[in-house]
Amino acid sequence: MSELTLFVLRFGFLAILWIFVFAVVFALRSDLFGHYTRRGERTVPDITVNPAAQAPTFIPPVDAPVNADPARTLVITAGAREGLEIPLDADQLTIGRSAQSGLVIRDEYTSTNHARLQLWNGDWVIQDLSSTNGTFVNNQRVSVPTPVPLYTPVSIGSTIFELRP
Amino acid sequence: MSAPLSSLESSTITEQLLLRLKIPTKLRNLEATLILFAMIITSFALALVDLGATGHLNVSIIGLSLGLGAIVLAMHVAQRFVARDADPLILPIVTLLNGLGIAMIHRLDIANGLTGWQSQATRQMVWTAIATIVAIAVIVTVRNHRILQRYRYVWMATGIALLILPLVPFIGVTINGARLWVNLGIVSFQPGEIGKIALALFFAGYLVTARDSLSMVGKKFLGVRWPQVKDLGPIFVVWLVAMMVLIFQRDMGTSLLYFGLFLVLMYVATGRAIWFVVGGGLFGTGALVASRFLTYVEGRFAAWLDSFNPTIYESIGGSYQLVQGLFGFASGGVIGTGLGAGHPSIVPLAESDYIVASLGEELGLVGIFAILCLYLLFISRGMRIGINGADDFGRLLAVGLTFVIALQVFIVIGGVTRVIPVTGLTTPFLAAGGSSLVANWIIVALLLRLSDTVRQQRDGGDVR
Repeated sequence: MSELTLFVLRFGFLAILWIFVFAVVFALRSDLFGHYTRRGERTVPDITVNPAAQAPTFIPPVDAPVNADPARTLVITAGAREGLEIPLDADQLTIGRSAQSGLVIRDEYTSTNHARLQLWNGDWVIQDLSSTNGTFVNNQRVSVPTPVPLYTPVSIGSTIFELRP
Repeated sequence: MSAPLSSLESSTITEQLLLRLKIPTKLRNLEATLILFAMIITSFALALVDLGATGHLNVSIIGLSLGLGAIVLAMHVAQRFVARDADPLILPIVTLLNGLGIAMIHRLDIANGLTGWQSQATRQMVWTAIATIVAIAVIVTVRNHRILQRYRYVWMATGIALLILPLVPFIGVTINGARLWVNLGIVSFQPGEIGKIALALFFAGYLVTARDSLSMVGKKFLGVRWPQVKDLGPIFVVWLVAMMVLIFQRDMGTSLLYFGLFLVLMYVATGRAIWFVVGGGLFGTGALVASRFLTYVEGRFAAWLDSFNPTIYESIGGSYQLVQGLFGFASGGVIGTGLGAGHPSIVPLAESDYIVASLGEELGLVGIFAILCLYLLFISRGMRIGINGADDFGRLLAVGLTFVIALQVFIVIGGVTRVIPVTGLTTPFLAAGGSSLVANWIIVALLLRLSDTVRQQRDGGDVR
C-alpha cells in the first residue's frame, strides 16, 4: 500500500472521528430531552399553571366565621415568570414540580409536591408538604399550615409570589 | 407543559400508546445507528494500525472487535426491553472510546512484539466483554435506582472494605510503588475502582438525609459565612480517609478522586461554595505536608515542576516517563504521525497510564481534541441526567458518578500534559485495565438507568 493512500486513509480517519462527534452534537440539538434540550430554554426554570388539577374540595368547619373577601389572584413577583397572574378560582392550589400540580414550578429547588395553598374559613393558608428546600412566608420557614395575608411574599425555590384581592 | 398535557388527555388511548411507543423507538434507533458508526470507526482504527505498523491487514482482530460490538448491541437490545427511554448517546460514545483504546493497545502490542494471550489487546477485549456483560446485568437487575438508597450504609462498608483490601497481607500487591492491587491467583484487580462506585452511592444516599443540617450557616467571619463547627465532622472523616489512602496506599490520584467526589456532592447537595474553600484548604494542607514527608509525593512534585532538569529526568521515578510522553505529543503535532507510524512504545506504561500520550502522538492534536470532545459530551449527558433527575438521590447519584469520570479524565490527562503533577489513575474506557473497565461500564449502566427514570417520570406522570 502506497504512502499516499495511507496518508489519505489517516486523514479520513480523523475526519470520520470528528463526524462522529458532530453526529452526537447534532443529535443533542434535536429533541432528545423534549423541550429541555432546545437552546436558551435549557436552564430556564419552567412555571406552568394547570387548571385541570382539581383537588378534592375542602369543607371548612361549619361553625367558624367565614371571611367574605378572600384573595382572588396569585401574582408572581420574582422568578422565571415574573408578573404572571393566576386567578384563584378553586379553594385549593397545589405547587410543585409534578405535572399534576396546580402551579408547576420546575427549578432545581422545588420538590415534586412542594406546598399546598388552601382556602380555610375564607383565608388562604399555605402548608409545606415536607419539601426539601422549604416554603417561606415573609422569610420565615413554614413548618405548620400558615395563613398568607394579602401582599405578603411567599417564596418557593427561586420563585416569589403574593396574594392579591 | 400544560398545552401538550391537555392535548394528550383529549386524544384517544390508542393515540397515546402510539405516541409513547414511537418516541422511545426513535431514541433507541438513534442509539443503534451511532453504535454501528462507532463499530465502523473502531474497525477502521484497527485496520489502520495494522496497515501502518506491519503493512498488511489483520482480519482476525477486526473480527474480534466486531464481536465486542455485538455484545454492546446486546446491551442496546436489553435496553429496548428494560430501559426504553434511556439516553441514546452515552452507549455509542463509550463504545467508541473503548474501541479506540483497544486499537491503541493493539498498536503497542505490535511494537512490543506481544501476541496471543501475552497481548494486552486480547486481555483488554476479554475485559471489555466481561465489563459489558456486567453492565447488561446491572441494567436488567436494577430496575429502580431508589432501592439503592436504602442500602447506603452497606455501600459505605463495601467502599471502605474495598479501599483497605489491598493493604491486607498476602493478597495485597504493590505495583509501581502504589499498593492498590489485589492478587487472587489467576486475576489481579484494583478494588478501589469498584470502591468509587460504592462510595458515590453512599455519599449520595447520605447527603440526601444530611443536607439540611449541612446547609445551616454559622458565624460570619472575614465577610464569609462559615459552616458550624459541629457540621465539619463528615468532611473531616472523609479527609482522614483520603489522607490514609495517600500515606498507606501511596496513591495521590485515588485520594484526590475520593475527596473531590465528596466535596462536589456536598456542594451540589447544599449549594454552598464554602465547602470548596474548607475542603480545598484541608486537602491542600494535607498534600503540602505529605510532599514534605513522603518521598514519593515530593518526587512527583519535583518531576512536575522541573521536568526537564537532567538529574530529575535520569533519576529513578523521575520525569523520564512524563518527558517522553510530552515528546510523543510534540512529534505527533497537529494531525499526528498516523496510527501505526509513531513510536509510542518508548514511553513506559504507554498502554495504561500514558495511553493519551500514545494517542496524541499518532492522532495528533486533532485526534486528541476529538477524544476530549467525546468525554465532554459523555459528561454533559451525565450532568443533564442529574439536573433533570426527579428525586434528590437520583440527582446526586448521577452528578457523583459523572463527576468521578470527569475528575479522573482531568487528573490523568492533566498529569500527562503536565498541567498538574502526575498521579497514577487510569483514563476511563481507554486505558488497559480490567477493574477500571468493569467499574466504568457499571457507571454507564447506572447512568442509563437514571436517564430512563427521568424520561419515564416526565412522560408517564409523577412517580414519587
